[in-house]
Amino acid sequence: MIELIGGWLAAVMIVWIYSFVYKDNLLYRLAEHLFVGTAAGYSIALSLDSLNRTAFGQMAKGMEYWHLIIPIILGLTFFFKYSKKYYWIARYGVGVNVAVGAALALRTAPMANIIRQINAAILPLWVAEDPLKTFNNWLMVLITLGGLTYFIFTFFPKTEGKAGPVGIVYKALVTVGIYGMMVGFGYLFANTIMTRVGFLIGIILQYLQPRFDATLVAMILAIIAIAFAVMKKR
Amino acid sequence: MAKEEKRRPFGMAQVIYTLLIISIVIPLLNPVGLPIGISQTTKDVYNYIENTLPPGSPVLIDLYYEMAARAELEPQAAAVVKHLFEKNCKLVFVSTITYGPIVFELLKSTAPDLFEGKQYGTDYVFLGYIAGNEPAVASLAQSIRTTIAVDNYGTPISQLPMMANIDKAEDFKLVFIVSSGTDTFGWYVRQWYTTHNVPLLFGALSVIGPSIKPYVDAKQAIGMLTGQRSAAEYETLVGRKGLGLASMDAQSFAHALILVFIIIGNIIFLATRSKSKSKEVKKK
Amino acid sequence: MSVVVRRNLPQIIVALIIVLMVLFYFFYINADVSKTFTTADKALSDWAIVITAIAAIVGGIDILRYHVNQIRKREMRQIIFSCIVIVMEIIMVLLACYALSSGIAITTQPNFAWLYTYLYAPADAAMYSILVFYIASASYRTFRARNPPAILLLIVAIIVMLGNTSLGAMIWEGFLPLRDWIYNVPNTAAFRPITMGIGFGLIILGLRLIVGKETTWMGRRE
Repeated sequence: MIELIGGWLAAVMIVWIYSFVYKDNLLYRLAEHLFVGTAAGYSIALSLDSLNRTAFGQMAKGMEYWHLIIPIILGLTFFFKYSKKYYWIARYGVGVNVAVGAALALRTAPMANIIRQINAAILPLWVAEDPLKTFNNWLMVLITLGGLTYFIFTFFPKTEGKAGPVGIVYKALVTVGIYGMMVGFGYLFANTIMTRVGFLIGIILQYLQPRFDATLVAMILAIIAIAFAVMKKR
Repeated sequence: MAKEEKRRPFGMAQVIYTLLIISIVIPLLNPVGLPIGISQTTKDVYNYIENTLPPGSPVLIDLYYEMAARAELEPQAAAVVKHLFEKNCKLVFVSTITYGPIVFELLKSTAPDLFEGKQYGTDYVFLGYIAGNEPAVASLAQSIRTTIAVDNYGTPISQLPMMANIDKAEDFKLVFIVSSGTDTFGWYVRQWYTTHNVPLLFGALSVIGPSIKPYVDAKQAIGMLTGQRSAAEYETLVGRKGLGLASMDAQSFAHALILVFIIIGNIIFLATRSKSKSKEVKKK
Repeated sequence: MSVVVRRNLPQIIVALIIVLMVLFYFFYINADVSKTFTTADKALSDWAIVITAIAAIVGGIDILRYHVNQIRKREMRQIIFSCIVIVMEIIMVLLACYALSSGIAITTQPNFAWLYTYLYAPADAAMYSILVFYIASASYRTFRARNPPAILLLIVAIIVMLGNTSLGAMIWEGFLPLRDWIYNVPNTAAFRPITMGIGFGLIILGLRLIVGKETTWMGRRE
């Protein structure tokens, strides 16, 4: 019985949220606020769970974990942001968090994001007996250089009259970079469609198709709510 | 609040939305069974797990996706988990996003066949949600036992038999990151691969795939699966029909419809542009 | 309180933590010092985990405060919706606290599990997936071949869309290999500068935090 009610609730929530694409209406707002409340509560609940397992659970194991009382105090300083006089105390908690995240990224980013990528971008520009690979390598090197030129050299010094050889090379690289990125973005757009359509398919298969009766009832109620909203507007 | 534009309640946009829903529902109700090819990217992943990954290897799986992304990522996760269990790998599930516990329970309930014959604590464990993003990933790489005291169900880590020899990054032979975000892959590349040299496998949304391909190309990951297409291909390879394969017909029809919209939109645009150009010429 | 305690001291602490963590990672003196460095480094990561968890709780409380303020404004319709938000949030938190006090996992508490499975999960899925409708209408209204780069983008998008689905294979077998080529060659090369840019950005952010130039994390007030 409880599963049946749950199935109905799931289908109804989805249809009422989707009704927004036709018109903002009362049932959409009801579903939205139910979701927001549940989501906020869920987030707090899981954070309490994480805190319990990473801080209090560890501290219960022994004295070597009691240093975790410091981040608990630092975390509690976040509540001072509500104070007009003592808001600055929260900066200590935020600062430690920001610092640790930045440090972890700073010390590994040069190798992970720069050196390894440069290594991968250095390709042989002549591969004997494989013209396709040669072509591919040239394309990859030119588009990578073009993209880097486009991002790093945002402004090129203006020259009077014709652009010199450096200016011509710069323009050529930037053009190759732009067209290369258009290819990348075209691929991205096509995949965006795949992802979003996939989301919709998943919802229909997982929630709406199994409870078709609930979907139908929710749709009828949503149509009534939309009609009511349209008439109210007029 | 800004004033809403005056618009008809059922205009062109709403027609498009309705047609889109119809184009997806019809093939789901009446599957056509269009065949799909297998791309080299998916074959590479399959071959790595089949031929390179030693049987019985410990594998970390980070489930980092929200409910909507289940449609694209859960089929990938299920297919790869099936393959890993066939090789008797020891799976350590974890999540660095709050949705993780729900997503894991839903994976178990929608694909119970994966866990048949497998024992919790001996063949797989779920460490639960760990807050902290990149610091959490870095902390797990150094030591799981000193990061969390108990698993998602309250069992102390020391009491889980398979965790006796698994504690830090070097103990794992593979990390499978199933994520709907872009940052997650960067965290693992920096904290697990760069620092501890652990092989990574990416499971990403189709839309994220292009932006993380440079990591795979630079050999910082052994391969990647992107979206429902890769999920359908992997399901074919492991012989498990799931949501990936079931969705491909609907994907084809929806894509065809959107292609038609793009073509019609551009025809109208070009026709309008040439009309306005000829009007300008006439004026001159 | 003086500017030193309000602004300078937090910045100094941030700079110190970043410099120390970089030192811990790169410098090796001897085995004992290395062990101390590793322990201290791990401790700092664990601190960030705990602080983030509490920050998420504060975020949830922010939503509660916002809706309590909405109720205070006394707009009839909004009062009802704000009450719904507050009630649902409190129910979820109370169920979680009940589970914690009973010593069971929060996500296995039956009422909590029912609410997140049948209310939260489908609504969350619907909220994220609603974009598909706007993408469909955008493909008709705004996806135009206005100039050569846009034409290239369109052509590539069409090839990849056909390659992604079985439909493409029915028209021409070559769409899948062509899609794979686009993925492996020009797409990878196009996103490589972006990946490197992310690395540069992370380095610059870290350096700006060390020298105290990056102050957005402190908020707008003095």
